[in-house]
Amino acid sequence: MKRMIIGALSALALTATAAVAEYPEKEIQGIIQWGAGGSTDTVMRSVTPHAEEALGGTVVMQNMTGAVGAIALNHVAGSAADGYTLLMGAENPLLYKVMGLGDKDYSEFTPISILARGTPVLVANPNSPFNDYAEMMAYIKENPGEVKFGSTGPGGLPSVVTAMISSVEGGLDVTAVPYDGDGPALTGLQGGAIDVMPAVLGAAIEGIRAGNMKVLAIMDVAANTKLPDAPYITQFNDAYNTYLPWGPFFGVFVPNGTPDDVVAKLSAAYATGAQHPDFVQLMDDRGFTLMAITGDEADAFLSKWQQGTAWLLQDADLTKASPEEFGIARPGE
Amino acid sequence: MTAFMDFLTVFTQPELLLLVGLGTFAGIYVGAIPGLSVTMAVSILISFTFSWDVYPAISLMIGIYMGGVYGGSRTAILLNIPGAPSAIATALDGYPMAKRGEAGTAIGVTTVMSIIGGFVGIGVLALAAPLVSDFALRFQPRDYMLLAILGILLVGSLSQGSLVKGIFAGALGIAIGAVGRDPLTFAERFTFDFQLLEGGISFIAVMIGMFGVSEALLQLHHVNKDAVRQKISRIVPSLSTVKKHLPLSLQTSSIGVIIGALPGTGGDIAALMAYDHAKRVTKNPERPFGDGAMEGLVAPETANNAAVGGAFIPMMTLGIPGDAVTAIMIGALFIHGLNPGPMLMIDQPDMFWFIVGCLVMANIFMLIFGLTGIKLFTRIVEMPRSVLIPLIMLLSIVGAYAVNNSITDVYWMLGFGVFGYFMRHYGYPLGPVILGVILSRLLDDNWRRAIISEQEDLGRFFAGIFSSPLSLVLFVSVILIFVSQTPLWTKAKARIFSKERPRA
Repeated sequence: MKRMIIGALSALALTATAAVAEYPEKEIQGIIQWGAGGSTDTVMRSVTPHAEEALGGTVVMQNMTGAVGAIALNHVAGSAADGYTLLMGAENPLLYKVMGLGDKDYSEFTPISILARGTPVLVANPNSPFNDYAEMMAYIKENPGEVKFGSTGPGGLPSVVTAMISSVEGGLDVTAVPYDGDGPALTGLQGGAIDVMPAVLGAAIEGIRAGNMKVLAIMDVAANTKLPDAPYITQFNDAYNTYLPWGPFFGVFVPNGTPDDVVAKLSAAYATGAQHPDFVQLMDDRGFTLMAITGDEADAFLSKWQQGTAWLLQDADLTKASPEEFGIARPGE
Repeated sequence: MTAFMDFLTVFTQPELLLLVGLGTFAGIYVGAIPGLSVTMAVSILISFTFSWDVYPAISLMIGIYMGGVYGGSRTAILLNIPGAPSAIATALDGYPMAKRGEAGTAIGVTTVMSIIGGFVGIGVLALAAPLVSDFALRFQPRDYMLLAILGILLVGSLSQGSLVKGIFAGALGIAIGAVGRDPLTFAERFTFDFQLLEGGISFIAVMIGMFGVSEALLQLHHVNKDAVRQKISRIVPSLSTVKKHLPLSLQTSSIGVIIGALPGTGGDIAALMAYDHAKRVTKNPERPFGDGAMEGLVAPETANNAAVGGAFIPMMTLGIPGDAVTAIMIGALFIHGLNPGPMLMIDQPDMFWFIVGCLVMANIFMLIFGLTGIKLFTRIVEMPRSVLIPLIMLLSIVGAYAVNNSITDVYWMLGFGVFGYFMRHYGYPLGPVILGVILSRLLDDNWRRAIISEQEDLGRFFAGIFSSPLSLVLFVSVILIFVSQTPLWTKAKARIFSKERPRA
């Protein structure tokens, strides 16, 4: 009997090792949280073929949209933790809990790679009566409620940036006009439907270069290599140092419980893929900062991001539930 | 001169020519199957063509796009199931023609008209892109809202028979479109705390169910009746037919280009608006609309293909997508190391002219592939019903699943199919439901955007409408079209004209 158990166990162990040694032995599914043509989609579809090469397997990507990405997240969280279903997402899930959009976030996942980070920028219609951040703030003080800011709903990049401005400046009396994405909002900006839009640099850079929109300030602590002449926000107000650098990011995740060697293999593949010159070039063109971090470093990045952002939104009274309820500690505590 | 050489690139390289042809051919079939959409095909192609050069990749995508928009009409005419949302209006008069045994003629007219529309779209793109994109950018949220109201007034044209039933169906559509998390504030609406409802109801699933499944159920009534024999003697419409419809096709093509160029509206709305326009301006159709009027095919098919050229206008001049497919193409250009945006025309004008060339080529291929193979297609409707009905069900289920790879959508599709069957049974038109679903978001989002921009002040809102010529024109059209549909107006018109006539 004892021998049988040992035999069975060793057989199990053998097959387990064999399965892992062969990983990937079938197609891997990559679930993209956002629609085709968006930033997340572009990033994932351009890095994955290089990662496939390093991995020696195929990753079939599909877009699963809806409920601000929560449908895709729940789908992957509910699938087997065997490394054959990847979640390709952006920063939003870290705010699901406090925004009341879902009860799961990246804490249910192991990061394979945090690929890149974007820099927010405040852009304005070229005809607006202010040319930089300071002039904008002065104009808003004189004309409360008149300036129209684009927004993409609670938890979106514009809501975080306006919360930041509001907490640093002690209030921001503008009209927030909601759009369903930064693309449509920037279109509205160029048509004069809104005056100011906090957007990720990559989405606005071509419009800026063509003079269809002007930069009021880059939301960063140093000048940006893509726009070296544009002012950055800490030039106007030192207090922004508390929150910056901050930005949206893109990452690949697997559900918790995925075997360590599979995680290691996938992480290595995406690390190699992210260094491919074509991908590096693409990230640079779109104004994203390449990160390609994994393991503890990625975990630390995620929890720092979540703490800072969740509490910022909480203090601006934009959340549905306090971060405290979910054990998200206030930064510095 | 260099522009002309870039334009000719696609014609001089056999490989690119082949890819455009292949794309167009595949597009017609992808478009013809409900649920398999061009958007989906193009997004799959992004991964597939990742390692290719940019020219071949774009050639293939443009072929699929052009072919797909046209292909949607095939199943609309033959089976009364629009292959794509932009073919909904085509089914209204195309299917009655097929039932009469004139499927060949219907497909022939559709093909020629799609090509005329396609060329108008390309022409405007090539010659007036910056002008049109400037105009499209001028549309403010309130203008989009007025446009959506204008669209909702089409209920009058789409409901054959009872207007009340049409209004009911349209209202139902608007309500279906509002289900799920509101995209502007993420508040839940009509979800009743079901997680499944949070993402909303897929409008493609509604469309496939209402048209496909209900059609299959309806056909069960006469499962033993022989199928209509199709006459396929005359496929290519005579020159006089084309000439007769040329003025209308040019008008509806212009509608298509403009609606296509507006970010956020595409071929589906363009086709429906064009259908409405045709109904309004055609005084004496050979057959009444809804019964197989040729004009009812001409209008939507010219408009949806003209919208393709239109959608490229903001994409090429500003880097703003005109519709979902061009949004994905922008992503493709990024991946291939280009920077689509306002600078693309200045930095890389070759790309612009190359795309224009591809579109022209795809249009020519559409004519070739569209007019051949009609015989094979019409065989589909000649199949015994006992084969056809399961086939329709199969296509509907696969199509509904493929949209989001979600089994929930299949259930929605089946549910709306049964519901649609009863609606048709009791004489409620289906067109307005789909119209309502399509326009629901456009109306809702833009109304709120408009009123929030005016600090929720109706006075400022109307001041805004009256201070902008564009808004004013749209506002007046809404009022005129609305009034012209009321009985009061019909009476007044009769009185005015009867008085005026003797004087003249």
